[in-house]
This record gives sequence, C-alpha cells and structure tokens, in this order.
Amino acid sequence: MLKIDNLVRSFNSGGTEVNAVNNISFEVPSNAFVSIIGKSGSGKSTLLSLLGALDKPTSGSIIVDDTDIAKLHDHALIKYRCNTIGFVFQSYNLIPNLSALENVMLPMEFANQAKSYRRDRAVKLLNEVGISQDKHNRKPGKLSGGEQQRVAIARALSNKPKLILADEPTGNLDSENGKMIFNLLHKLSKSEKTTIIVVTHDLTIAGKTDKSFKLSDGKLIK
Amino acid sequence: MNIFTRGIRNTFRNLIRTFSVVFILGLSIGLSLIMLISRSAVNDKINQTKSSIGNSVSIRPAGINGFEGGGNLLTTDQLKPVSSLPHVTSITETLNDRLTSTNTSLQSSITAGSFGQRQANINNQSNTPGGNGGGRFGANFDPANFKPPVTLTGINNTSNLASAIGATNVILTAGANIDASSSSNIALVGSSLATKNNLKVGSNFTIYSTSIEVIGIYDTPNNTFSNSGLIMPLSVVQKLSSQPNQVSSANASIDSIDNLNSATAAIAKQLGSTADVVNSQTQLTNAIAPLQSVSKLSLICLIGAVAVSSLIILLTMIMIVRERRREIGVFKAIGASNFTVMMQFAIESVTFTLIAAIVGIIIGVIGSSPITTLLVNNSASSSTSVGGNFGRRAFGGASVNNLKQIHAAVGWNILLYGLIASLIIALVGSLVSSFLIAKVRPAEVMRVE
Ligand SMILES: Nc1ncnc2c1ncn2[C@@H]1O[C@H](COP(=O)(O)OP(=O)(O)OP(=O)(O)O)[C@@H](O)[C@H]1O
Ligand SMILES: [Mg+2]
Repeated sequence: MLKIDNLVRSFNSGGTEVNAVNNISFEVPSNAFVSIIGKSGSGKSTLLSLLGALDKPTSGSIIVDDTDIAKLHDHALIKYRCNTIGFVFQSYNLIPNLSALENVMLPMEFANQAKSYRRDRAVKLLNEVGISQDKHNRKPGKLSGGEQQRVAIARALSNKPKLILADEPTGNLDSENGKMIFNLLHKLSKSEKTTIIVVTHDLTIAGKTDKSFKLSDGKLIK
Repeated sequence: MNIFTRGIRNTFRNLIRTFSVVFILGLSIGLSLIMLISRSAVNDKINQTKSSIGNSVSIRPAGINGFEGGGNLLTTDQLKPVSSLPHVTSITETLNDRLTSTNTSLQSSITAGSFGQRQANINNQSNTPGGNGGGRFGANFDPANFKPPVTLTGINNTSNLASAIGATNVILTAGANIDASSSSNIALVGSSLATKNNLKVGSNFTIYSTSIEVIGIYDTPNNTFSNSGLIMPLSVVQKLSSQPNQVSSANASIDSIDNLNSATAAIAKQLGSTADVVNSQTQLTNAIAPLQSVSKLSLICLIGAVAVSSLIILLTMIMIVRERRREIGVFKAIGASNFTVMMQFAIESVTFTLIAAIVGIIIGVIGSSPITTLLVNNSASSSTSVGGNFGRRAFGGASVNNLKQIHAAVGWNILLYGLIASLIIALVGSLVSSFLIAKVRPAEVMRVE
C-alpha cells in the first residue's frame, strides 16, 4: 500500500542543514496498524507530514498505491489530501466555531459530496466513535479533550481514506482516555479497512500495533 | 454549511472586534460618502453658477450708466462687427427709454415716493448738453406731482430677456413672446403695469402717438421695478423714440467660458474708447474660488477616507489571518484548496465591508447635508458681497448671494459609488488575506501549540 524509498527532508536552520528525515525506506501493507516511536525531535512529525503531502520531501519517493506523491502537482496533492488521507492531530485541531457535526462534514464538502450524504455520514461516524446525538451540535469548546479527539477521528474517516495519519493522538489525554482513543483507532483500522500510522511515545501502545518503527535523528533504527 | 455561511459566520466570531471594525470602517465609509456628496453638490453649484453668470460680455456706451451720465449711445452699425468676432455666438442689443405723460397714455404702476421725487428733481435740473440723459421732464416740472416714468426696453433678441431688463427671472403669464426682430408695434407688458392700466393680451395703448398692441404679459417675481416695464422690438423703439440705430447697452454671448477673456479683449479692441466692455469672469472667479477650495478639500478627504477604510480592512484581515494561521493549515490539511480558503476569507472581508457600508451610508445620508453646509459656510463667508449691484444688473442677476445655498442630494449614483468603493476596499482586504493564506504551510498544523 505504502512504500517509502530513501526519503530525505532537510531544513536549513541558521545556515546549517538539518536532515529531519534522513534517508528512510520502509513499506506498510494495506490495512496495517503501524506505530512510529522515537525521542522528541527525532523526525516523527516531519515524516508524517511528508506521508500526508503536507510537506514535500527534499529527495526520495513516497509510493501510495503505485503513485509517487512526491512528484504530484499542487492540484493532485489537494485531491490526495482530501480523498486518500485522514489526519488526527495531538491538539485535535477542530474548527472552533463549527459544531462537531459540521467539523465532520467539512472534508466531505471539499470532496464535493451532496449535503444530505454529508450529514448522514457525519451522524453515523459520530455515533460510531461514541459521540452521543445530543453532543453533535456542540462546538469543540464544549466537549472534553477525549470527545474532541473522537470527533477529530470521525472527521479523519469522513472521506473513507486509505491511510490515517495520527500524530500523538493520545498525547494531550490522560492514560484512560488515551487507551480508549487507541482502542478506537485499532477497532476502526479493522472495521473501516484503513491503514493507520500512529506516532506515539507510549511503548505499551506501540507494542500492541501490527508493526513498530523507531526513529532516531531522522533515521530508522529497527 | 458551505463556504458562504462559514465566511459570514466567521465575520461574527469575535463580536467586540466585529463591532469595533464595523463602527470605524462605517464611520470612514460614511465620511467618504459625505465628501463625495459634498463634492458633487459643490461642483454642481460651481457649474450652475458658471452657467447662470453666463458666458456673457457686457458692452456699455462709455460714460453712461442707465439714464445717468453723458456721451453717445452705441449704434447698431457699430456693434455689427462684434457679432462676427471669433467666439461671439450672439449679441443682445437693448435700448432703454423712459415714457412720461407727455409721450404715453400709460400710468406707471410705481408710486413716486421720496426717492422718485428726489431723482426726478435732480434729473430735471442737471440738463447736461450733448448727452441723451437729462432734462426730460420740461421746465414746468413740479416734483411734488411727479409720476415715475414707465421704462421701455427695446430688444433685438429675446433669448435672454431677464438679463436685458435686469431681472433674475421672467415668466410669461399670458399671451406669447414678441418677435424681437419684428417691426410691428407690439409689446410685452409687465404684470403690474398691465393691472394698473387694465391691459390684457390684445389690448392697445399709445406711446409717441402710436397704438401698440399687447402680445403678452410677463411677471418678474421679486422685482417690482421690472414688473412695471414694457418690452418691445428694438427697431420699433429706435423708430418711435427717434433714436435710430441707437443702442444703450448690449450683451455678447461667448461660446465658452474659457474664451471669455480673449473675446472680451477682442470686443474692447473693436469698439475702442466708445464703449466699456467687461465680463463676469472676475466676479465669477472670486465667487467660486471658495467653492472650488471646498471641492478640492472634499476630494482630499474622500481619497483619505477611502485610503483609511482600505487600511482598516487590510489591517483587520492581516490580524484575522495571523490569528487563524493554524486553522488555515487545518483546512488545507483536510483537503481544502487554497482557493476555497481564500474565498472563505474574501466572503468574510466582503461581509465586514458591506455591514460597514450600510452603517456608512446611514452616516452619509444623515451627515452630508449639515457637513456640506458647514464646509461651504466656513469657506464661502467672505464671498457674499462679490458680484454686488453691478454684477446683478450687468449679468442678469448672477445671484452670488445664494452660492451658499447648496443642496446636498443623496442620489442613487452616490450610493452606488459608495458600494463600489466598499467592494474595492473589501477586495483589498481579500487580496491581502489571500496572499497570506497562500503562504501558510499546511505542515504547520503538526506543530503543537
Ligand atoms: N519547519 C522547520 N524548520 C526547521 N527545522 C524544522 C522544521 N520542522 C522540524 N524541524 C526540525 O526537524 C527535527 C524533527 O522535528 P519533528 O517535529 O519532526 O520532531 P518530532 O519527532 O515530531 O518531535 P516531537 O516528539 O517533539 O513532536 C527537529 O530537530 C526540528 O527542529
Ligand atoms: Mg512531533
């Protein structure tokens, strides 16, 4: 499903080149649940933004279903982000003045889905991630952190992406809520048939995934 | 929920900011509108004043003013070459005459009063030789029984009747206008004179032992003197009063106000020392100078206000985009195109501006009239006496006194300009925000706050 070859992303900070992602190659099969671990500053987020086409690699290729997204033009990249990828962030990143339901409907609007379809699917997804009906019309500010992250997961799922990228999705949550979110992702990777790559500090979480990669100074060590 | 509702909803995301921005922007747009309205009112007034003063050159025999002074009247022959000078479009010649009981059956509708008696006395005693003025009432004159004479104006062109008889406005109340080139014994009679002498259209009266038919009755509002006069074709007056060829004053019309000075000089050169040739240019320049400075001032204010409005929306949009950098990144990360995000912010900027425009239009409509009056009164107060008596008589009542009476009208076109200006302002805001939005890297969403 996903094949990375000699991926490099370097930043020029204060005159010196820093390779945040330094020549990484690996493969992830379809519907796998994969974790990436590593110390702070090891390049996990940088790698994830390359996979999600939020950033362009300095060199190397990212093949997703036979397409090298490193070579795609802007318009195709927007489509890729919209239809193939679902993002879950550490700080939820919900749009604060939209309700939970509207947040989940948003990516489907960008994918030009009909309004009734958007609403039906958003309601279904919110129920699936455990947000009760009475909270669908609440703004993110009136939801708990765990609830916000569930809404964010529902939003990531809305366009039926092949790949969900989660950057420390449990990082802002207590261990109990973190575990619930992790279990939810795990369950969804099976029921929605998506590949999930999750960045985490939590080694017990990493131990439960199908596969775990460890990064250190931009390099893959295991 | 779509891009429009989101854009509009975002406008009200921070109510205090929205209120302040709308208020300041509205004030600024209102000021622009007020300036636009003042400017167009003042410019209208300038043009109206220019056209009311007219592109006319006054030609008067040297040494004569009305029935005062001495010297020789002008002649039709003398004036003939004037009409063929460049830029002279037409020439109105008049011959004034005073009819007393010795040469008319008409009774003046003006009572003598103390002024009339004194004037009559002076006129009778100062029998200046060589001139046409003076000594018209005979040796047995008794000032106590004095009856004011009837003023007769011979005219060769009725296109500018009012100026020819020194009134601001002449309204034909009955009958028809006279044909000024006619040699028939016909007349227009002032309404007061007609009432006094029971004259109606079709009636006859006698001057110089000749029967004259009343063709029309005219009224000159607010001018009792002109209202008791007679107007007849020039050639008839010349013949009956035994002043063949004579003209007591003339007005030359010039094709454009820009040629007024050169044409005046040409006419003066043509007529030499026999005539005093003046135009209204000097009076006009003095009269409208303060208005022109108001017009200039309001243009500067207009440009300033539009610039300030643009700056306000520009800064607001910069502030908003900076504040929502992360959100913009999220939009891009979940599949929105740059264009979609830009449009959403553009709608927000347009909504801001439109609300402000409505506030501005209300301020503009309420404020334009008093502010125009204030501006004009402050700068035009020194011009009230310009024009004066001479201006009024010579140039047909170029009513400089009412220069201050400016009507600030709020037309649809002005509201339209206001809206267009607002949209331009909104566009400025949108363009700036678009530029900043395009620069937001979607990868920034990965940064933890
Ligand atoms: N835009 C950037 N410009 C310059 N350097 C950057 C940029 N983004 C990341 N880096 C650098 O790249 C390296 C990897 O950063 P990254 O955010 O990927 O680390 P991380 O593994 O996600 O760390 P954490 O666990 O703290 O989130 C760091 O040294 C960081 O300073
Ligand atoms: Mg990170």
